[in-house]
Amino acid sequence: MILYRRPWVAALAVTLLLLLANLAVQPSLFKPAIMLSNLSSWLPLILVAMGQTYVVLSGDIDLSIGAIISLVNVSVVSLIGAFGGGDGALLLAIVCGFAIGIGAGAINGVFVAALRLQPIVTTFGTGILFAGLALAIMPDAGGTVPDRVFETYAGPLLGVPVILWILSLAVLFVIALGRTRFGLRALAVGGDAQAAFQTGLPVTRVRILNYGLAGGFAALAALCLIGETATGDPLLGGSYTLSSISALVLGGTALSGGTGGAIGSLFGAMSLGIINNVIFFARLPFELQSLIQGIIVLAALAVGTLVARR
Amino acid sequence: MGALAVEAIGLSKTYGAVTALREGHFQLRPGEVHILLGSNGSGKSTLCKLIAGSIRPSSGELSLFGTPTNLSGPNDARARGIGVFYQELSLSPHLSVAENILLGAEPLTRWGTVDRSALRHRARDLIALFGSAAGPGLTPDAPVSRLSFDQKQIVEILKVFSSNPRVIILDEATSSLDRTQVTILFERLRALKAQGVAIILITHRMEEIFEIGDRVTIVRDGLSVATLEIAATDKNEIVHHMVGARIEGSIQRRLRPEPSLETALTLDGLQGPALAPLSVTLRRGEILGLGGLHGQGQSDLLLTLFGAQGTQAGRITIAGQRFRPTSPRAALKAGIAYISGDRRRVGVFAGRPVFENLTLSILLKTGARRVRPGLLRTLLEPILNRLKLKAPSLAVPIQSLSGGNQQKAVIGRWLTTKPKVLLLDDPTKGIDIQSKNDLYAMLDSLCAEGVGIILYSSEDSELLGNADRVLVFNSGQVTEELSGARLTEFDLYQAALKAA
Repeated sequence: MILYRRPWVAALAVTLLLLLANLAVQPSLFKPAIMLSNLSSWLPLILVAMGQTYVVLSGDIDLSIGAIISLVNVSVVSLIGAFGGGDGALLLAIVCGFAIGIGAGAINGVFVAALRLQPIVTTFGTGILFAGLALAIMPDAGGTVPDRVFETYAGPLLGVPVILWILSLAVLFVIALGRTRFGLRALAVGGDAQAAFQTGLPVTRVRILNYGLAGGFAALAALCLIGETATGDPLLGGSYTLSSISALVLGGTALSGGTGGAIGSLFGAMSLGIINNVIFFARLPFELQSLIQGIIVLAALAVGTLVARR
Repeated sequence: MGALAVEAIGLSKTYGAVTALREGHFQLRPGEVHILLGSNGSGKSTLCKLIAGSIRPSSGELSLFGTPTNLSGPNDARARGIGVFYQELSLSPHLSVAENILLGAEPLTRWGTVDRSALRHRARDLIALFGSAAGPGLTPDAPVSRLSFDQKQIVEILKVFSSNPRVIILDEATSSLDRTQVTILFERLRALKAQGVAIILITHRMEEIFEIGDRVTIVRDGLSVATLEIAATDKNEIVHHMVGARIEGSIQRRLRPEPSLETALTLDGLQGPALAPLSVTLRRGEILGLGGLHGQGQSDLLLTLFGAQGTQAGRITIAGQRFRPTSPRAALKAGIAYISGDRRRVGVFAGRPVFENLTLSILLKTGARRVRPGLLRTLLEPILNRLKLKAPSLAVPIQSLSGGNQQKAVIGRWLTTKPKVLLLDDPTKGIDIQSKNDLYAMLDSLCAEGVGIILYSSEDSELLGNADRVLVFNSGQVTEELSGARLTEFDLYQAALKAA
């Protein structure tokens, strides 16, 4: 009963277990600097997984989300160059980045929800399209952004690291959204779309909004990546698509929709990051790393699922 | 009296070539309980869904409260004061009871978030209507997926009440409720009626019609055939309208020799999750019909015998030997064959050649490890001739055949196993008349060979024309056995509508 509607509890338990394992192979884990650098490398996946969660909750899936990251990444880097490097230019480029991300998501939503195309195939297709656009904008990795972009990103704001600000605001946003009418309706749509329609809910609108939301989170992740790498890369996002889906499943969201939540995906994404740490610090032979990683991911999934079933 | 709450003038709905509602004429007055009555697929639910805005009419006119209206969707209908109980329910399984009841009209805090405590309170007040009759576990916070079916129906009812509608449509809202729950619902409906709320009620329980109804409209074959004042009519008149102008005894019964005295199958207190204990003996060469409204346990009985659904108690004997229905494979070996009208789901293997579709069962029964097409062909030939199966060749994919020929192939598959008992689950659904007649002729010869047959059909004429006797089902229970002179549509309807 405690776990009902709190599917993230199991994910949290798994995350803590993995943290212990991480601590065993990396005693310095809880030093602030180490934690912060960990967090900054996990943050993009955390954000993408949170966004993907909304799409999955309403019963759909977004396989183009990695391509959206690439597209926003190269667009913003190019725009900063084009606008000149002033503060106003930076802000404008960031706004454009969000607009591109949300717009790309909304395009997915319109195809899937309004034109009723099959979500997997459609977003696979739009993903190729977005990736192609990214390559057209910036054929090779490169471009630079002003130094103060990554200095700001890595530094503190009002005494608190900027990375922590971004994460906290994202978490607050997700919690607030979960308490709104929209959050409830998204779950209803994912649980049974026909029932939601007959209840009078705007099913199509909810699904499009969720795709747009996922696009917005992908844009934020792309901006974080710029802050971290200070450059543009048209092939940057590819691996995030499947990782985001792994993360949300680890976090207790059902791929069939209707149950789960973005907080669980936060823990799911962290788990994936911690697993990478464990593999790295355990000094496993290179050729065994993938094998061990696969086993740990499956075990984490099994533990989470079995606990949640109680 | 004021304007009519709902008026349908020549409302029709077609899906491709299928007409679900032909010319729906219907008038609902404020402050009345109006019963919609008709057999399965007659168009009642279609009419309700049109009024609910969840489907759009192909033609005709719908007026709400005196104004011609084109509903844009369920939310439009809801905004105009129409509350609908959907037969298949419109609940979201992972949400709580409270969330489901108030979904679409969630109370908000001044911050714009959902007001959880108000949500819970309003749900609690609504659940209190049913008091202890709601049963254990029906609390505002319980997830709907963990409720029993009658509790889900109660939640769907409360969801309708929560929006304070001016028109209430209840499509088989009482089908799983017990007597106490129905009484509470009807009390509430009477109170709403007194406030001028108009109510449409679909039910198959005859006693409920007379208990709560003011008027009844009978729908048959997509047409609304009559509207009667309940106070001025009786059960017989209602059943006559349901059966229609067809003359009694007009159904041609097939002439078959008397069944033999040997038993093919004996059921002794057979009981399942959806099946009350049943004892019956099927003789060799006999066709035992299963009648009643759709989904009252007929298919459950057949699937139980075929080993596809668990039993709880009872004994099955086939040709003197005890049979335990553990799996369809066991049933096949014991000489039971099961043929469903739902070909696409349980009959044909689409994309595979006719030949493979025909030979699956015999290969499974003999346990042959090697397929010998030549041998199988000689085995199939007499059966195919008997069935009059028309196929360009046995190598074509089965879905390229007509529905009737596909069904013949499915039957052929089972005949290769030489069954002792044949279970037919609405076998002629959606196939043409010629194929139907071929199938009936086939049944003649199987009877002559001494096969025992159990036939469920949603078509009354098929049931009455073929069965030697008919067990009428209601809520998983056999309420009546019809034979001899009582094998008429009239008796069938009357038995089907009788309370279990």
